[in-house]
Amino acid sequence: MNPDVVGAVARLRADKVLSGEQAALFDRVARRLLVSVRVEIRALLYAGVLLLTSGVGLLVKEHHGEIGPWAIAVAIGLAGAACLFWVNRRAMSFSWGEVPSPNVAFDYILLLGLLLFASDLAYIEVQFRLLGPQWAHHLLIVGAVYLVAAYLWDSRTVLGLALTTLAAWRGISVSLVSGSLWNIHSDDLRENALVLGVVYVAAAALSVLLRRKPHFEAVFANAGLLLLLGALVSGALDDHAAWATWLAVLLLAAIVVMWHGFRLDRSLYFAEGVVAAYIGLLRLLFQPFRHTQSSIPYLLAALLGLGVLFVIFAAHRRMQDR
Amino acid sequence: MRPESVAWERAAEVHEAADGWRRAGAIDEATKRAVGDAYPDPCITPSAVWRVLTACVIAVVIFCVFGAFEAAFRPDASGHQVLLFLLAAASMVATEVLEASPRFSRRGAAGTTSFLGVVCLLVGFGLFLSETVHMRLDDVLNGMLTAGFVAWAAACWRWGSPVFAALSAASLFVFLGRVANGRLLWVLVGAALAALAARRLDEPAWAPSHRRSAAVLVVAGVAAVYAAANIYSLDQYLIEDLGRFHPSRMVSWRAIRLLSTLATAVLPLAVLAWGLQSRRAFLIDTGIVLAALSLVTLRHYVHLAPLWVVLTLSGAALVALALACERALRRAPGGEIAGFTAEPLFSDERRQHVLQMVPVVAVFTAAPGQAAGEKGIGGGGRFGGGGADEKF
Repeated sequence: MNPDVVGAVARLRADKVLSGEQAALFDRVARRLLVSVRVEIRALLYAGVLLLTSGVGLLVKEHHGEIGPWAIAVAIGLAGAACLFWVNRRAMSFSWGEVPSPNVAFDYILLLGLLLFASDLAYIEVQFRLLGPQWAHHLLIVGAVYLVAAYLWDSRTVLGLALTTLAAWRGISVSLVSGSLWNIHSDDLRENALVLGVVYVAAAALSVLLRRKPHFEAVFANAGLLLLLGALVSGALDDHAAWATWLAVLLLAAIVVMWHGFRLDRSLYFAEGVVAAYIGLLRLLFQPFRHTQSSIPYLLAALLGLGVLFVIFAAHRRMQDR
Repeated sequence: MRPESVAWERAAEVHEAADGWRRAGAIDEATKRAVGDAYPDPCITPSAVWRVLTACVIAVVIFCVFGAFEAAFRPDASGHQVLLFLLAAASMVATEVLEASPRFSRRGAAGTTSFLGVVCLLVGFGLFLSETVHMRLDDVLNGMLTAGFVAWAAACWRWGSPVFAALSAASLFVFLGRVANGRLLWVLVGAALAALAARRLDEPAWAPSHRRSAAVLVVAGVAAVYAAANIYSLDQYLIEDLGRFHPSRMVSWRAIRLLSTLATAVLPLAVLAWGLQSRRAFLIDTGIVLAALSLVTLRHYVHLAPLWVVLTLSGAALVALALACERALRRAPGGEIAGFTAEPLFSDERRQHVLQMVPVVAVFTAAPGQAAGEKGIGGGGRFGGGGADEKF
């Protein structure tokens, strides 16, 4: 029971702010006479998909010699197709606007089907070497299929997977399992991250401007900003001589991101810009003192932090006032 | 907690409920405004993004101040202690000031200063025990754990963070694991803690954050009892290994092993039943997690089938169970069975979708193509692209 809400419902009913019907329902929920288990059902589905895909992976790993590549490829393909067939039958008709899921299992069966498809494709590639030395391009196919599925069945989760898979195709990991975005060391990878970041941010803008799944904007933009600012930060923190140029570009990009985040009321974009700019400025503060032990850069960094806090509070207040 | 802070928290609870009612379309905008007028909340409550951002910047500022003093004075052992105690005192004073201000109490700043204040206090205390009193490492650890239990509990009581309650409970149980009969103490203290905290879950006199802390303590107590009773933990001496002297490992009595096996099977079901009977979601979740741990324990001892069969079947069973529950609830009269429903009620579905996206993308994203490609496909290709990451 939430005694504060129970008391409030009774008082609001007595003051005639709530109707009898409203108060009865709110009171039941506040007293835990009616409890939602939707989160638990979702968690079970997620765990089920995780276990199923792990089990299939282990089966292939341990028994691919005994079962044979064709049987495995066909079996996984059929399982994936069955999931996607179910999804297609249950899905509501396509729209460029937001389409609600027909039921709680929809997103998870879609995820399972796509993961099985991706696993099947990877297995076929490994067994039959269709792409030869260019085998990593199978990630492009997987990413493209995810992208189409995300639009077709209106899934932000699948869109997120599509964007990170396309990043993986270009050699950049944004996965917690296989590495970190900040491990961008080579210039090639940095360029890839920059280009993909710009493309994703542009896709976010186009989604809104053309009204084509405008609710995908946040997924595109956050993935894009993560890649773009991550690449610029890694360049600014690198030891090569051009770090100052990277820093200048980083600060410029961060200011633009903060400004747009502020203008569009997107707190997450603003926060990403603030963090990137602050990390870049820390490099600038500590650079002259890198061979000496001095308290000056720490004091300046603390003062800069207080300045950043002031900017954060001011930006939040202005956004609220609007 | 300060009485004003408790009053603000109570008003925030009502506002949060009204936000849920509005989101679900159960009330209109005018009614929501009327609720806000009836329960004024003077605090500014930014979204999680703003709070995390503020907390990170405050933490960096505190670390930089510490670094500046370190670089300027290059203190010796006692100087470090003084510096840490001063920083702890300054952080706690700052927390008091921030908590008293409706403009700043919910911005994430007070949480950071209070957390880092207690951390500085404990590290300073540890240094004092080891370098000034010259205690042995084992005694220093025991002293820090005891101090941690008290300090986190006091911080929880004063500033109302459930995280501090969890840290206090963790300190207590690690300390108990290091003394004689640690396993027995885990069972006894865990059961007592869960029972005592459960009585306060709906206590109207307590602040909402204290009630949430009580829920955390119930989970901590139940987890401690389970960890002590689990047969794998008994066989592997997981709790005994926390001990300070590493006493010789006694062979467990057969009766104790039998009891432990029974407890491993029964405890999750008991917690699940408790959660279902009391309709508390966090207890149901705890029961599900413990049941999963018991199944993993069972698999460790009894090899019913190859691992891939177990994983595939249990995955399929979980999906089927979830679908069956959802369908049964959806088709039941009024969409509910025994007070449970699959409807989202007044929770923020949109936020849950966003939160769910992060682990899905993090776990199922493929490894980078180029980096993997350098190894060559013949040298150990990866079965993946969809998240599976098995070499063969």
